[in-house]
Amino acid sequence: MYLFAGLAATGLYFLLPWNSAGQSLLYDLIGISSAGAVVAGTRKHRPSLPAAWYLFAAGLTAFAVGDIIFNLYAWAWHRDPPIPSVADIFYLAGYPFLAAGIVLLVLRVRPHDRRPGIVDAALLTVAFGTCQWIFVMHPLLTGSSDWVANTVALSYPAMDVLLLAALAFLALTPAWRTVSYRYLSASIVVLLVVDEIYGITPASFPATSWLDAGWLLSYILWGVAALTPSMRDLSQPTASSAGRLSAPRLFALGAAIATAPTVLLVEHVTQRPVDAFALAAGSVALSALVLLRLSGLIGSLDSLRRAEMAARAESESARRQLATQNEQLLEAGRVKDEFVALISHDLRTPLTSIVGYLELTLEDGNLTEQQRRYLDVVDRNADRLLHLVNDLLFVARLEAGQLELKPRALDLAAIVRQAVVEAEPSAAAGGLELSCDASDVPAVQADKGRMFQLMDNLVSNAIKFTPSGGDVRVSLAPVNGVVRLEVSDTGIGIASAEQQRLFERFFRAPAAFEQQIPGTGLGLYIARAIVEAHGGSIAVHSEVGEGTSFRVELPTAGHA
Amino acid sequence: MSGPRLILVADDDEDILALVTAVLERSGHEVVAVADGAEALATVRTRKPDLAVLDITMPQVDGLEVLRRLRADAETAALPVVLLSAQAQEADIERGFVTGASAYIKKPFSPRELVTRVAQLLP
Repeated sequence: MYLFAGLAATGLYFLLPWNSAGQSLLYDLIGISSAGAVVAGTRKHRPSLPAAWYLFAAGLTAFAVGDIIFNLYAWAWHRDPPIPSVADIFYLAGYPFLAAGIVLLVLRVRPHDRRPGIVDAALLTVAFGTCQWIFVMHPLLTGSSDWVANTVALSYPAMDVLLLAALAFLALTPAWRTVSYRYLSASIVVLLVVDEIYGITPASFPATSWLDAGWLLSYILWGVAALTPSMRDLSQPTASSAGRLSAPRLFALGAAIATAPTVLLVEHVTQRPVDAFALAAGSVALSALVLLRLSGLIGSLDSLRRAEMAARAESESARRQLATQNEQLLEAGRVKDEFVALISHDLRTPLTSIVGYLELTLEDGNLTEQQRRYLDVVDRNADRLLHLVNDLLFVARLEAGQLELKPRALDLAAIVRQAVVEAEPSAAAGGLELSCDASDVPAVQADKGRMFQLMDNLVSNAIKFTPSGGDVRVSLAPVNGVVRLEVSDTGIGIASAEQQRLFERFFRAPAAFEQQIPGTGLGLYIARAIVEAHGGSIAVHSEVGEGTSFRVELPTAGHA
Repeated sequence: MSGPRLILVADDDEDILALVTAVLERSGHEVVAVADGAEALATVRTRKPDLAVLDITMPQVDGLEVLRRLRADAETAALPVVLLSAQAQEADIERGFVTGASAYIKKPFSPRELVTRVAQLLP
């Protein structure tokens, strides 16, 4: 809104009769409106650092007051302003206010983030200052011997250097690229450019010139910057991650470093006397700044390298520690394996004698019926003991990650039938009906021994937990690309709360304890391990008192 | 097969040695029983048995080493050897066959299974 109104007013300014009172009045109004816009924007958006914006308003007000006094000379007092005039004091006072506001904003950035910006801004400022001195200020000196007039004349270009320094500081500090920032910097750039053109052109301008458009635009842009909501962000800078040495920045720094040769060349071409002292001083300052910047870069590279070396050393020591721990773990694993193998061997050896001599004795004909019954009990328990040893050894191998599978294409139906046939004697002994419905299924990539172990586990479990007169049904069928094995019984069932823990190691259902059904709590843990090692799944469905059904699904060879 | 055969049995466990001996003698074989591997190798040379039943875990020269040496000697390379061991892991069994065993029976063993295997392997 303010932008369009301002642009319209600027247009109107050039439509009015040139050098008229109306033109001067409009010029003054635009200047005052700019200061007003900054105050209004600051009130409206409430930035966390209002001081900077009030400094801007003060600077703009000073400019506007300068304009008004200047115009008063022309229209009220009808004479040329003296040199220096009161207007000059206000004009010159405006610049420090603006620069101070900008510096306040930059100081909100953390010192670490603004450090590289300072040196770069100083480089640009020295380069600009050197040129300003040689091309603008030095020629002014030669004209008059009135030191007051000289001071005032020199002050304008000096103030431009000050403002440029502030702008460079703002622009080169890695933060803010908001809309408000762009308006603000555009305003300053326009102001500086117009001042420069005014300064370089020695001929005095008539009161109205096209350069006025620049000054008016600068006023307006500054007001717009304050009215844009993003002006708040300028008070809360977040350091941007933009590269510290972007292409435009490198170009600007390169141009700054090329100041001395450029100036020499220009003075040679224009055949002006070389201002050796100023040029030398500027070059020395530039060189010192370049050195400072270089040492800063090298310093940050060094600290980067040091940090990297420290990180590398740390990771190396962590790696070594890990390797040591790994070795210790491997050693612990090895000791456990040896222990398990030893235990297994040493349990089997006495069992060998027990089972073997028992069988020899049972083969002898001359035993009483009672003796035979007793020995059957010994035989059965020796068998249980052997099973337990086998299960423990299996679990130990499993936990050591040493479950070795030798998968090959298997006909599961044959294995199921064999397991059922082998379970028939114990089913008959328990007074159970054992049925098998194994249809032909696609081949399964599986380890034969483990599959038999799985079937045997599930079927003997079902028989164990089903009271006399019940049923145990085993079925095998292909379903949706998997082979499904189901072992269902009409046994005591498993409470739903216990079903979760059923496949845990050493878990035994309380009912199993109460009814003194023998077991170790390893059977289903092993069953699940075998199923999962083959890429399959196992699930249980059970109702207390109704029965239990285990369902195993294994991928077929084509789908494995 | 003709007449009683001579079978070498080696096992460091006294009871098991006696058990195997009893089982094999009952099925009509002649048995020479030894308690360690070195003795087993010496006996093979002197008595020329028709078959050997070796335990694996024996002091000094174990059953696998005996088997290895038997297979390395042209004279005994073809001797049927049954390994009878409490080392029951598949890796153990595999190692037994790789070394040259004719059969591998896990302890505890069924006497019937042993007799059947021996009968199959006798030349």
